Amino acid sequence: MADRQAFMASIRRALGRDAPGASVQPPSETALSLDPADLDARARAAANDASERSDELMDALARSAASAGWKVARVSTLEEAAGYIRSAALDVEAKTVVRSAHELLDSMGIDAALANVGIRAETMTAGDESGREALRETAFHAEMGVTGADYAIAETGSVALLARAEVSRLVALLPPAHVAVVERAIVLPSLDELFTLRRGAFYDGNLGSYMNIITGPSRSADIEQTLVTGVHGPGEVHMVLLE
Amino acid sequence: MKASLFVTCVVDQFYPEVGESAVRVLRRLGVEVDFQEEQTCCGQPAFNSGFRSDAKPLAKRFLDTFESSESIVIPSGSCAAMVRVFYEELFHDEPDLAAKARNVAAKTFELTEFIVDALGITRLPESSGPPRRTRVTYHEGCHLRRELGVMTQPRALLEAAPGVELAPMRQADVCCGFGGAFAVKYPDISGGMLADKLRHVAETGADAVTACDSTCLMQIAGGMEKSGMTTRAVHVAQLLDEAMG
Amino acid sequence: MKPKTGDFNRAAASALADADVQRNMRGLYDGFHMARERAAEATPNWEDLRDRARAVKAHTIEYLDHYLGMAAENVERAGGKVFFAKDADEASRYILDLAAARGVKTVIKSKSMLSEEMGLNARLEEAGVEPVETDLGEYLIQLRGETPYHIVAPALHLSKEQVADLLQEEIGGPRYERAEDLTAAAREQLRGKFFEADMGITGANFLVAETGTLVLVTNEGNGRMCTSMPKVHVAIMGMEKVVPSMEDMGMFLRLLIRSATGQRLSSYVTLVNGVRRDDDVDGPEEFHLVVVDNGRSKMLADPALREALYCLRCGACLNACPVYRKVGGHSYGWVYSGPIGAVVSPMLTSLPDAKDLPYASSLCGACREVCPVRIDIPRMLLHMRSDLAEGGPHSGSPRASLAERLTMKAWRLAVARPWMLRLANRLARLAQRPLVKDGRLRKLPPPLSAWTRHRTFPAVASRPFRDRWRSELRKSRRDG
Ligand code: SF4
Repeated sequence: MADRQAFMASIRRALGRDAPGASVQPPSETALSLDPADLDARARAAANDASERSDELMDALARSAASAGWKVARVSTLEEAAGYIRSAALDVEAKTVVRSAHELLDSMGIDAALANVGIRAETMTAGDESGREALRETAFHAEMGVTGADYAIAETGSVALLARAEVSRLVALLPPAHVAVVERAIVLPSLDELFTLRRGAFYDGNLGSYMNIITGPSRSADIEQTLVTGVHGPGEVHMVLLE
Repeated sequence: MKASLFVTCVVDQFYPEVGESAVRVLRRLGVEVDFQEEQTCCGQPAFNSGFRSDAKPLAKRFLDTFESSESIVIPSGSCAAMVRVFYEELFHDEPDLAAKARNVAAKTFELTEFIVDALGITRLPESSGPPRRTRVTYHEGCHLRRELGVMTQPRALLEAAPGVELAPMRQADVCCGFGGAFAVKYPDISGGMLADKLRHVAETGADAVTACDSTCLMQIAGGMEKSGMTTRAVHVAQLLDEAMG
Repeated sequence: MKPKTGDFNRAAASALADADVQRNMRGLYDGFHMARERAAEATPNWEDLRDRARAVKAHTIEYLDHYLGMAAENVERAGGKVFFAKDADEASRYILDLAAARGVKTVIKSKSMLSEEMGLNARLEEAGVEPVETDLGEYLIQLRGETPYHIVAPALHLSKEQVADLLQEEIGGPRYERAEDLTAAAREQLRGKFFEADMGITGANFLVAETGTLVLVTNEGNGRMCTSMPKVHVAIMGMEKVVPSMEDMGMFLRLLIRSATGQRLSSYVTLVNGVRRDDDVDGPEEFHLVVVDNGRSKMLADPALREALYCLRCGACLNACPVYRKVGGHSYGWVYSGPIGAVVSPMLTSLPDAKDLPYASSLCGACREVCPVRIDIPRMLLHMRSDLAEGGPHSGSPRASLAERLTMKAWRLAVARPWMLRLANRLARLAQRPLVKDGRLRKLPPPLSAWTRHRTFPAVASRPFRDRWRSELRKSRRDG
């Protein structure tokens, strides 16, 4: 604490104040000025708006995702989705696919669909320490990772993944290919709605430890400004839009 | 409309013909032009080099000379910016002078800005003889664009000028490398920037390159001569003068 | 990292003479700079976003203690620890102690300008800990022992050939030629490290005060590795990075990323809230946030320089800067380069030592024109110039050379009164006589000879405007 007090005191000295700002009034430019009590209402309004415009948002998402480097597939049934994932796995000659425990994936029978063509599907869930080590190894060697998504963002062509009990951070990170399955209901117009919802989650006490917003493949232009995909994360990414 | 011309020290000493053109153009547009003989320099060279106490007496002199003018017209975006933007900064701890600076700033204009914004003129009188055809490319002075926000006015006048055809230049808004003291302190960096500018001028194939600042043109013309280019460098005032003459 | 800010002139000259550097730098305009331009045009209300973001940063910096306090509490609530370090040394020592206590042998690092500023890698090495930079560009310059060439693209100056040599020497095996293969080779080399490392160190693009959320923006995925694989995650952050609300992030991410690379969003935006929760599948068990001053309060204390702390480190001002595009990043002699570097580097090191940097600008204002938070860099450079020339608080005493001061006095005399100007005109015409041909000066003697290397100079007019006014113009009134 000593470090903190001295640090704050020196900031105040530099600012020419000797006491903490008595009551700091956030200006209207920052969302901090918006009352968290209204968050729910705003979040709901955003969600309603999104569901009313869902056709338009799905189209916008498909376009922005494609321009961000996702391979976009629009499917109308769960079987179709499973079929798409299976053929994507075959294309990369996968032997092992790791997946998150998103319910959506269970309900499309992805494990069986893959097993049919001789591909092993491993679900990464919480376990004890040694189990986790083993899962890491599996993910490291897997050719593809399959996840659901918590949100998708039409503005930017992104999916947002929350880390939690059933969802490992590594499924969408370690394998060289990633498939994200996106349901119509989770598509948001823009980053703003996403952060309104996240702010709401904070006040509801379930922000969680981690969120990752993924927009296209891992990439770098560090060598002569030449774009290369697939550096430390997946170089091949698929977004399956479930109508 | 009355206007006091602040001709700038560079035009006075190196390019008097630019001042003459400015006078003729303004008069043809019906402006009553005067020239306060007490004027010298706005003080920008000292201010930009950090010598604010050397800039102050010149700035004061400027304010005294032009305080009672109806409007002040300057054929230079850079010097106009000094008066309009930087005098207040220069006098930030002298409230009386800062107020005086604000007052003078409010009636100070760069030449093309004055014609378009203050006089409201975008159509120019026809020339008496047949117009002389020229393909011209326009270099955008930095202070003109970024301190004064003057972007459309010079182009509008050039487009309206009989016989003038505008050839767009790539990176027209990139600095020519002059920057006053900068070109003296870092002649080679400045020269590198100039080389880029010359390449972009050459690409247009224009007969002439023009700008609202004689300092940019001093740099560009000097570079063109050195590298054997025959493109003319002319101030916008001169082009307008030619087009209307 | 020992600053070499005093070396600007020599370093700039060698960059100007280097054809590779010049070609690379030219690409910046059509690449990053134009990408930003297009992205800005495609973003609705872009100019409003800039105004708003500037206002938010201004407010946050004005109450920095308040927001840092709020952020720290929330980080702690999420199971993290927060340490406030007044300088690089304190921050490094905290990290070294932690590494020692946890028996850390290998650290994986995600790109952080602050880490460069602290010279953290050298400190880790001295303590027997292996630091591995995992951002590709940062990895390359670590191998070369250099500072970043550009805030966003640290290895911008390297050619493919140089990278090929470098990687072959480091990794062995075949010499690759294509960017894809070189990247793949580096990836393979680094993969193992992600598993080995016991600590991940990242920077911070933002810290949300309201929720205690660390926000990291990366394209390669190494930031995710560093925050997911090792047991301990340490984030180091300059104290100015805090922003008030989670709901401000849409605005800040749009501005930062679109200004930096023109992408709508970087490949990965990672939000970290403390440590892994009990039922999380993975994630670090410890999270430490180190908040660093290291000279920033010097800028905070000077109202004319305070806005330098609004900087998002997007690099747009570098891409827009015609001087940066000529002299490159290393000429600035320290971690930060380009227009914002010319302000920040002298302030974080020493203004008198870095006295060339504030002058390394034509004051064209291209930086301010693109800056997402409209930082008025030219005005700050002017402020620092006056501090140097006249001996302000950052310089102590006047630092201008005698020659500069004499030139200034002579000029001031020449333009002091109209009659003095007339006299100066006459003297100049006498002096120039032997040098003038067809109204031009083509070769000037030293110290002005460098000028005429690139351009000729007009002769002083024999009849200045003021004489012409008197004799003809005044009378002629209207001739149109
Ligand atoms: S000063 Fe502005 S443009 Fe430059 S890096 Fe900082 S935020 Fe970006």
